[in-house]
Amino acid sequence: MNKKPFNLSKFLLTGYFLVVILYLVFPIFIVIPISFSNNPFLRFPPSNLGVLWYETYFGDSGWVEATLLSLKVGLIACVVSTVVGTLAVLVLERQVLRSKNLLTYFITSPIIVPHIFISLGMFIFAIRLGIEDNAITLAFAHATIAFPFVFLIVGASHRQLDPTYERAARVLGAGPVRAFFSAAFPSLLPGIVAAAVFSFFVSFDELIIAEFMMSGQQTLPMRIWADLKLEMRPTIAAVSSILIVASIIGMGAAEILRRRSVNISNN
Amino acid sequence: MNAKKKFTSTWLLWPALFMLVAFFLIPTLDILRASVYDPEFTTKHFAKLLGSNVYLDVLWRTIRLSVIVALICAVIAYPISYFIVQRPRKQQIFFLFLVFIPLWMSVLIRSYAWMVVLGREGMINALLIGLGFTDEPVKMLFTTGAVYVAMVQILLPIQIVTCYSAMTEIDLDLMRAARILGAKPWQAIRRVFLPLSLDGTVTGAIIVFMLSMGFFITPALVGGRKDIMMANLIEFQVQQLNWGFAAAISIVLLIGTVLCVIIIKRLSKILIRRLVGGGHA
Repeated sequence: MNKKPFNLSKFLLTGYFLVVILYLVFPIFIVIPISFSNNPFLRFPPSNLGVLWYETYFGDSGWVEATLLSLKVGLIACVVSTVVGTLAVLVLERQVLRSKNLLTYFITSPIIVPHIFISLGMFIFAIRLGIEDNAITLAFAHATIAFPFVFLIVGASHRQLDPTYERAARVLGAGPVRAFFSAAFPSLLPGIVAAAVFSFFVSFDELIIAEFMMSGQQTLPMRIWADLKLEMRPTIAAVSSILIVASIIGMGAAEILRRRSVNISNN
Repeated sequence: MNAKKKFTSTWLLWPALFMLVAFFLIPTLDILRASVYDPEFTTKHFAKLLGSNVYLDVLWRTIRLSVIVALICAVIAYPISYFIVQRPRKQQIFFLFLVFIPLWMSVLIRSYAWMVVLGREGMINALLIGLGFTDEPVKMLFTTGAVYVAMVQILLPIQIVTCYSAMTEIDLDLMRAARILGAKPWQAIRRVFLPLSLDGTVTGAIIVFMLSMGFFITPALVGGRKDIMMANLIEFQVQQLNWGFAAAISIVLLIGTVLCVIIIKRLSKILIRRLVGGGHA
């Protein structure tokens, strides 16, 4: 009935929305096209189509080693932060603790401290113990900045759980551990997987801690960073395109999982 | 709740606490110590930092840039969040996905994309020259403007998501009620929707502000020499092996950030109260 007066503003709002979305997602439409060029320099629009820069990337042992190191660090950081974060959720969401709020603040505090501050602290700490320039140290440092996010994501799915299932399992004679794994854990799993993917990418994309700590080996972001500061070779466009596709698929799937885990228990 | 019967016990929290103490708490204390012991107690790092216009200028520039980025994000994001929240549920999820996509790309790659677009031989210059607007490439990369454009693009999704989730909490029936009671559309927005949604906007702006204060990659890649921020200063000092001085800068950055957040919170409370309290019909 009173829809008419809204029409013009709705039209303008839709146009505005499209412009802003374009501004947000445009890197995909820039970086991916220029990566498929055989020119030695970055040119737009790309001419002389080809996969030269992908061949350069896969053929260069420096790039491949950097990628493998980042994968390794990312996987360790992902496993550590997911396990540690999920365990913390199980305690803080299921137990009646007087210090619950304080502990929650403490666990999530790395999120709000400037990243560069944490990075410098970890670096000085690692130097003092003589454990700098070590992939395991780097993985644990990354796990520390990732697990507060795991805590938040898994915590949100845990709050959606219906405790009656677990209670029913207990009444039917299951022990507490078995009741948890058969009645609660399956509903928690999508949230945990989403958190794991997220924490992997937190580590995989992290630059500053790695830049401080690693002197002998390079992670992938370090390699990209070093190349960007020297000269912009199109190899970076190829690497970036691979990363864009990988992270959109990974994070997109994780986001769908997370939403599903929250929605199922809502209905 | 009969928490006792559940299988979780508090020892499951120990790994988390151990990791936080080892990789967060002790490193923080290490920074504090490194800033005042070198190797004996000294205040020379802070004296150097606070006694020099160069460093204070960088601090001031970092704060100013972060405030402006947060304001721009808040202004751009507000109508976007409003637009999304008014859509049917299925569309909302799709639109949020579009907003999320850039968030999934690393800051390094998004800054790189801006280098490609804004560079001398970049996309915009190719377009300008192709259309005959200019003969010489316009200098856009390595300017302060480039830092703003790139940082807003990188941080905007966070503001939109925060603002949107605050708006989903608002009961849209209140707006309809205001309309039925005779309010014009924009009146309904201003009197009902705006006051209820501003809290989320402020929260988002504070998050954006805090993240900008620590920004490092973008200013280094798309900004000029004059656009270095506190984080770039810290990295430079680490490379020069001046850890004590780097630690002092980090502490000033952290304290500066916290103070600014407190001030922003206070100011925004006063502003919101004016908006809501002023002009009750």
